[in-house]
Amino acid sequence: MAEIQMQTDVPTPQDGSEAANKDWYGRWSHLYKILDRRGPFADPSFTPGHGDVLDSSFIFLREILLNNCRVLVIGAGGLGCEILKNLVLSGFKNIEVIDMDIIDVSNLNRQFLFRPSDVGKPKAKVAAEFIMKRVADVKVTYYHGKIQDKDDDYYLGFQLIICGLDSVEARRWINATLVNLVGDEPERIRVLVDGGTEGFKGQARVIIPTITSCYECSLDMLGKQKTFPICTIANTPRLPEHCIEWASVIHWPKIRPDIKMDTDDPTHIQWLYEIALERAKEFNITGVTYSLTQGVVKNIIPAIASTNAIIAASCCNEAFKLITTAQPYLNNYMMYTGNEGLYTYTFEHQKKPDCPVCGNERVTMEINKEMTVEDFIEYLKERQEIQLKRPSLSHATTGEKIYWQSPPLFEQRTRPNLEKMLIEMVEQGDEITVTDTTLPFSLQIVISYT
Amino acid sequence: MNVDKKTQKYDRQLRLWHANGQTALETAKVCLINGTATGCEILKDLVLPGIGSFTVVDNKIVEGSDVGNTFFLVSDSIGMNRAQAVTEFLQELNEDVKGFHFSEDPIALIENQPEYFLQFSIVITTNLPEKSLLKLADILWNAKIPLVIVCTVGFIGYFRIALPEHTIVEAHPENIIDLRLDVPFPALEQYVKTFNFGALGSMDHAHIPYVVILLKYLEQWKRDHDSKLPSTSAERNEFKKLIQSGRRNVEEENFDEALASVWKACTSTKIPRQVEEIFKISSCENITAESSNFWIIARAVRDFAANEGLGLLPLAGNVPDMKADTPNYVAMQNIYRQKAKEDASAVRARVHNILNSIGRSTDSISDDEIDSFCKNASFIQVIRYRSLQEEYITEPKNADIGRWLQDLQENIVHYVLIRAMNRFYESYNRYPDAATFFLEDDAEEVSEEASNDFNTLKAYVNILLREWKITSYPEHLDNHIHEICRAGGSELANIASLLGGMVSQEVIKLITKQYIPMNNTVIFDGVRSTSSSYIL
Ligand SMILES: [Zn+2]
Repeated sequence: MAEIQMQTDVPTPQDGSEAANKDWYGRWSHLYKILDRRGPFADPSFTPGHGDVLDSSFIFLREILLNNCRVLVIGAGGLGCEILKNLVLSGFKNIEVIDMDIIDVSNLNRQFLFRPSDVGKPKAKVAAEFIMKRVADVKVTYYHGKIQDKDDDYYLGFQLIICGLDSVEARRWINATLVNLVGDEPERIRVLVDGGTEGFKGQARVIIPTITSCYECSLDMLGKQKTFPICTIANTPRLPEHCIEWASVIHWPKIRPDIKMDTDDPTHIQWLYEIALERAKEFNITGVTYSLTQGVVKNIIPAIASTNAIIAASCCNEAFKLITTAQPYLNNYMMYTGNEGLYTYTFEHQKKPDCPVCGNERVTMEINKEMTVEDFIEYLKERQEIQLKRPSLSHATTGEKIYWQSPPLFEQRTRPNLEKMLIEMVEQGDEITVTDTTLPFSLQIVISYT
Repeated sequence: MNVDKKTQKYDRQLRLWHANGQTALETAKVCLINGTATGCEILKDLVLPGIGSFTVVDNKIVEGSDVGNTFFLVSDSIGMNRAQAVTEFLQELNEDVKGFHFSEDPIALIENQPEYFLQFSIVITTNLPEKSLLKLADILWNAKIPLVIVCTVGFIGYFRIALPEHTIVEAHPENIIDLRLDVPFPALEQYVKTFNFGALGSMDHAHIPYVVILLKYLEQWKRDHDSKLPSTSAERNEFKKLIQSGRRNVEEENFDEALASVWKACTSTKIPRQVEEIFKISSCENITAESSNFWIIARAVRDFAANEGLGLLPLAGNVPDMKADTPNYVAMQNIYRQKAKEDASAVRARVHNILNSIGRSTDSISDDEIDSFCKNASFIQVIRYRSLQEEYITEPKNADIGRWLQDLQENIVHYVLIRAMNRFYESYNRYPDAATFFLEDDAEEVSEEASNDFNTLKAYVNILLREWKITSYPEHLDNHIHEICRAGGSELANIASLLGGMVSQEVIKLITKQYIPMNNTVIFDGVRSTSSSYIL
């Protein structure tokens, strides 16, 4: 017994890898207490000191953790910086991080792996290099680019994927990709731990593709994005936001049609601000500021270090429990809010049987007979649970194109259909295939006229 | 460039607590006792948003295990003073923040030189034994300095705020709409009279602000109903029909908005009960030279409401967006704003009178502060925390703890265990730890040492239960005692970071006096991923 106790602090002969030997005395002693001991709440399969993931030979859980488990971190922003730090301090030594962004000065209030001199550099690169410089013997590789650049084999190369993104589109993509990856082979399941924050609020969840509810199942839980009707912006502005929208949506294209608006360019924001201010003056509207202009045109969501820390830590805690089985993992959703007191709500989010990604029932929509194809497209865009931006429609059985947004050739050819009644092209009970360039999957919708 | 570097850097947080909150942060002096993994994570999340300064008080020497779970140490730090080592790494997170370290034993400092802590705006402790904690809590309580006590062990995190009184003006509620539809003030009544619905063309009719629609029909209703508002649901439905009768077609969205607000229009505007309660607190009654700005303004608002305010709080002056044409909307908005201005200036006069009467200069409270109070008057809050003395010694919440312990979903069990663990530490100068406890495949074989720690910790649990007059031992505690022995005082990076986020956020709320902090204990269970808050 005394012998085994020694292993708490000293590298064992079994994990003969170089990395383990470089560890200083006591490096993992906090962690080993958990890994080397039984716990009353631990998963029944948990064997202290042993990995149950690979049971073919006597391999220590520590080694699986430290050297063999490859984790992918998507996003190197507010959540990503925290996630990377937590993972390497929790014993994960083999990590890849993907992010397509470059560092902006407004990141520095929370993305603590970046310094003022890093502004303009790729987040993924700076984050990976910082972590490796600070924490000994960990390997963090990076990819500065889009998640859509990678194929199935790439994602299959990781045991676990942790996602700290602020884009709904990217999360839908990775979610659908991981669900589609499984097919009929459960060994192709790659668990997705997803975190998200907005101001004082956030959520952490565990998605086991095809088994638990997926990201797509819960789209209707997202708050609806604030939009202003175009007629208000054009004719009856009342709020400073209306004036700003007018400057960016109506005035810019008219005055500067050849210049693409770049919301990261301060001279562009300045221009919009001045135009908005002028319009506000004309209508006696107060409250247009540079900061508000920036907030509206960039759709800025407040972000603070503390919320990011909470959500990222929760995600990494779940990752640690999932991989080690040292405790039961979250099933499957934790919501957090901190503006009024401090609350969390943990629950099992249910799988949606007609989820377009993980469900096996088709979606049926009750549609007014009077709808034109164009009306129907607008209707689809409004539906909170499917969130489409530029849907293209085809008849599912005949394959006939109803309306395609792109390529231009097809758009032109199908544009006349927009004015037709939907019922002329799709009969009662027929199925429509809906695609959107932002989505890696298509929706099948059965039409039922009322 | 329109915006300075600092505003750019803090843009994403300024949208939550604005320039005044940021100024409060930038003048705050934060003290951390013990530079543990959790302590460093708290400081990280305070240094990033830009507190004025932090001071780490810690005389321990960095060990290999500290470097293992703390991001703000490297292997070269081993053997160095921990306060100094973590301060250097934390400091580099933000060039606007000053970092200090004081390599003194916190326990000795509390014992011999407690006044040292009075220089700080807030004190945060991690891993401080009970006796020192109580003494520190006492000193800070008397000086009205907030104390935050933090502990993480294994998958469990705990923190507690102690402060005699915390007042909040800017609670940032989701909406602060106060339209006075039931009691329109003269300028608003006058404005409604300028509308003759029948004479309006269809475009103008569809752009009458719903506030005007409601007020017009309420006026008519009151004429026919002894000046009373619709009060029963039958009456409200009848009133809705009255509004519907004036509608020209289904397209008129302003009528939809009016109909949707009928219930609100028929609810009488009054001082919210929670604000009434605040007005009754003796600090509001007995204003002295020592009274805080909050209480002076609260008193002025109370007196305003009792006199020229005609029983109501000063008007906030916000008007929500609604279907309306620009000139009408802006005109109406100005009427509300003008009234809010008049109310605020009446309150200001009262504040100045009070200041004069207590010998303070009238410019010692800024107009901005008074205006902000008036705008938020319906949502002001006062939190009076219980002291640690009350919780631990004079008035422990025996009945509540006993009741909560019965419920297996509750996280109070971790509170019991942390308290017992600290008692254990007090006696043995180490945490209960059972190195070999569950190592063997056969769990029945338990080493002597391990079973000793389990039994000793259980004995402390039982002592606490007796102190709380809880007679029966809840069996599920056994598993939690096991889990604490398994953790052996370990601090996991994830739990440290999670608590770091939670604690820093509450500290920011306390410093900025914005948003509503928790009261008074939060426990996070990283096994089940749940949290609870308790008033202990
Ligand atoms: Zn799904």
